Amino acid sequence: MTLAGELESLLPAGTSLVFGQLRLCRRDDGSFEACHLDDAEKRESLEPIPSAPALRELAKFDAAGEYRPLKTAPTLRGGWITRCDEAAEFLRRLDAIYPGVFATWIAYAAGRHHPTSLRRTLDRQTGMYRRAGTITDGMARRLIRELCHIGCLRTITWPIHDDDPVARATASPGTLPMICTEACTLAVNAARTLAKEARAAGD
Amino acid sequence: MKILSQTPPPSGEGSTSDRLRDCALLILGHGSTENPDSSQPSWDHAETIAKSGRFGSVHCAFWKEEPSFRQIWPMIEEREIYVVPNFISEGYFTRQVLPRELELTGHTTSRDGRTVHYCDPVGVHPAMTGLLIKRAKEILDSSVRPEDTSLIIVGHGTDLNTHSTEAITAQVEAIRASGEPFARVLDAYMEEPPYIADWRTLTDSPHVVVVPFFISDALHSYQDIPVLLGIETEPTAAASQREVFRRNPYRFGERTLFYSSAIGTDPSLAEVIVDQVRYFDEHYRS
Repeated sequence: MTLAGELESLLPAGTSLVFGQLRLCRRDDGSFEACHLDDAEKRESLEPIPSAPALRELAKFDAAGEYRPLKTAPTLRGGWITRCDEAAEFLRRLDAIYPGVFATWIAYAAGRHHPTSLRRTLDRQTGMYRRAGTITDGMARRLIRELCHIGCLRTITWPIHDDDPVARATASPGTLPMICTEACTLAVNAARTLAKEARAAGD
Repeated sequence: MKILSQTPPPSGEGSTSDRLRDCALLILGHGSTENPDSSQPSWDHAETIAKSGRFGSVHCAFWKEEPSFRQIWPMIEEREIYVVPNFISEGYFTRQVLPRELELTGHTTSRDGRTVHYCDPVGVHPAMTGLLIKRAKEILDSSVRPEDTSLIIVGHGTDLNTHSTEAITAQVEAIRASGEPFARVLDAYMEEPPYIADWRTLTDSPHVVVVPFFISDALHSYQDIPVLLGIETEPTAAASQREVFRRNPYRFGERTLFYSSAIGTDPSLAEVIVDQVRYFDEHYRS
């Protein structure tokens, strides 16, 4: 099934889903709507955003005008709504807000996309990140606690080591999961910072 | 101005076009965790190409933004994919980082039922020379003659990579060979000699035009280089956060300086990206 087909099937007419900070709705006529969760009760007064590029621009900054390099940070601003008739276009708009998150979930749930351990991610780095893999497991847990858990809405599905046990993510009723299958650039950068601090402390 | 090589389409062009409509195009960019404008040219070019309908779908992925190189494969549904790095030169990123992160093994990689073609980066396309000349001429006042103007192509440069200046010196040579009547054409860099900060001593003409050989008007091109040129005292807000992009020309005593936007923001880059796919088919496709 295509990704658009998967979205249609997960969101039948007359239903809604929570997706990160979004409320996704399929109206009785089959059309799609998305708005911020906080705005779900005032949909008629929201500013319509009619395209993926416009939504990408909206998702670029938080309510205070600060740049959002991580699109799954819990800082999506509200006050808008986007509506369209076609699932493929709706998916394009969701990807403008949460790039690739839906496709990642579909591939993971189907067993076609597998998490990459933190060690594997860090150990393949080169250039300015070549020492990121020198962090201890304790530092890795601190990174997860202080960066990932606080700053990102995704559920981590990767272990620290390849052979560490990790719970498989599942979809709660009424939600579309937002999973992380590999540490992102911000996490790799944070590992580099921790490694540098450790070296400086050891000098 | 035609900027692309106008070679006649090969026989069978119609069927090639039909085939591309079943393929995906993936544009790779650097992106930034600090500057909101870094990825914009890639998105703009992707939108232009998508509207043309030449590919089944058009995607972008980034080193420092989302979707990341590691997230992109589940988003693409076509079985044949052309990957074009929206990078300015061949080097560390195009030869090491991008293939590693995308798990590519050569010009063409077949895996998991997919065929992925890895094209040359946009910056090495022959059309870039014409674009640099066009950029330089279009920001000069009509009263300023190229004969009285030095053209500086500015790049990053780094002493960590001996190849980092090759793309720019090649462009400078090509512009000189083109017969364009600039007083002088020279290269300069942020982090290695000849330094762009020395533009006043590197040139002696009344007018100087500086074109950044960068993909976007982000941290280096928009915020760092203006400080090195002396047209800003400290890095400004990002380009998209300011009401006025640039106030050319800048006067330094009797001399004037014109500073253009990054070459990668030119809308013609969309054609260059597509042309790298055509080049791949003509030279690398088996």
